[in-house]
Amino acid sequence: MTNQTKSQFIAVASITSELSAVMVVAKEISLAAANAKAIAFRAGDKAKGFQPITDFINELAKETIELVTNINIHALVLYRLTVNEFQKTTAYNKFELAVKMAGDAAYANTMQKPLDNARLSMQDCQRQFKRDVSQLLGQLEEVMHHARAARVIAANSRIEASQAGEYLQSLQAVAESVDKAAHTIHDNVQRCRIALSIYRNN
Amino acid sequence: MKMTKIYEGSHQWIMFGRDENKPGNIIDTNQYVVRTANRCLLLDPGGAELFAPMMAAVLHHAPVDQITDLFASHQDPDVISSLGLWDQALTNAKLHAPAIWEGFLRHYSCESIEYVPIPDNGGTIKLDSVELQIIPAHYLHSPGNFHVYDPQAKILMTGDVGAAIEANDAPVFVDNFAVHVEKMRYWHQRWMPSNQAKRVWIERVRNLDIDILAPQHGRMFKGDDVKRFLDWFDALQVGIAV
Repeated sequence: MTNQTKSQFIAVASITSELSAVMVVAKEISLAAANAKAIAFRAGDKAKGFQPITDFINELAKETIELVTNINIHALVLYRLTVNEFQKTTAYNKFELAVKMAGDAAYANTMQKPLDNARLSMQDCQRQFKRDVSQLLGQLEEVMHHARAARVIAANSRIEASQAGEYLQSLQAVAESVDKAAHTIHDNVQRCRIALSIYRNN
Repeated sequence: MKMTKIYEGSHQWIMFGRDENKPGNIIDTNQYVVRTANRCLLLDPGGAELFAPMMAAVLHHAPVDQITDLFASHQDPDVISSLGLWDQALTNAKLHAPAIWEGFLRHYSCESIEYVPIPDNGGTIKLDSVELQIIPAHYLHSPGNFHVYDPQAKILMTGDVGAAIEANDAPVFVDNFAVHVEKMRYWHQRWMPSNQAKRVWIERVRNLDIDILAPQHGRMFKGDDVKRFLDWFDALQVGIAV
């Protein structure tokens, strides 16, 4: 296995790991939204501006979870493609070696067709991998967009929380947890993008 | 890869082995090819590391599209881990292998090769006008294990039965049975698990007319050495690790 193949396997595997952390955080946001909603309900008029924000936070968390679920499916396809590409590349290299070793064997030329087919299959896998990586990067960009939106919501939440009197601390804690979660999602997804981007540009 | 023609008649048997370029840390194996007019059967085609030299060697005897059949005596990697590569090279081939190993052998990523499961009582492989018999050899050493007998060539391919670990430059036939015995003893005692299975197999193959007994490792036995081997194996206690 070449170093590039190893890095490819590691990159694809690391996406699944990073995304499972994102999923946990997205679920935490969802929980924070439910918590905020309850507090806002108790606060009544004092947290009037906060109430629509809680719905928005919840919606954002649900969308992120859905998006990450789809990305995970895509990452699994990418993993299978990596395995396939590895097998096709191994076959191509072995076939090439067989042709070389066959030298002037009576039927050496009959290996040319399997060799050509193996080369085409290998190249097809490589193209497909790059195409899928580009798609995945697009999906990851969407998650980044959600993370950025969550940070804006967190900032608005802080402002709204400041109007909530005795509920200020509770609602500020919600805003903090949304902001922290948004940071985590941003960082994890950014790591996925960095790991994958070298394959898009190759 | 050394090539030795061991039968030439209406069809041919060729033994491939003693590959001097194989990595030093893998066991040396014998591969056998039965070549008929339009078809070619590879018996225990070998490990993945051996694919390129094996394919190169076979190309001296048959074009790729006439490699139509593979046989795996059992599931071991030195027997058949090259399967995924043969699968990609051959467009019209069948794998004859123990039925009970099918779900396991498919882990070698087969896409095009047709799996022909061999039932426990054996069967036949027909290549043009040649009919080979598949002889049950279960528990010798694998739970699903077969050997191949060619009644015309009088050759019995015996997988790990009769195997010995030899140097790369060892002759292909046993030339001194008494000396050779010591190269086989521990192998058979340790790898073969069942005295009962051994006795049943010996009874079965004593009924066959055998000129050459061809194991997957080490030297082949011919002439009187075939009977010497069966007698020696008959008397040997196996399954010593328990």
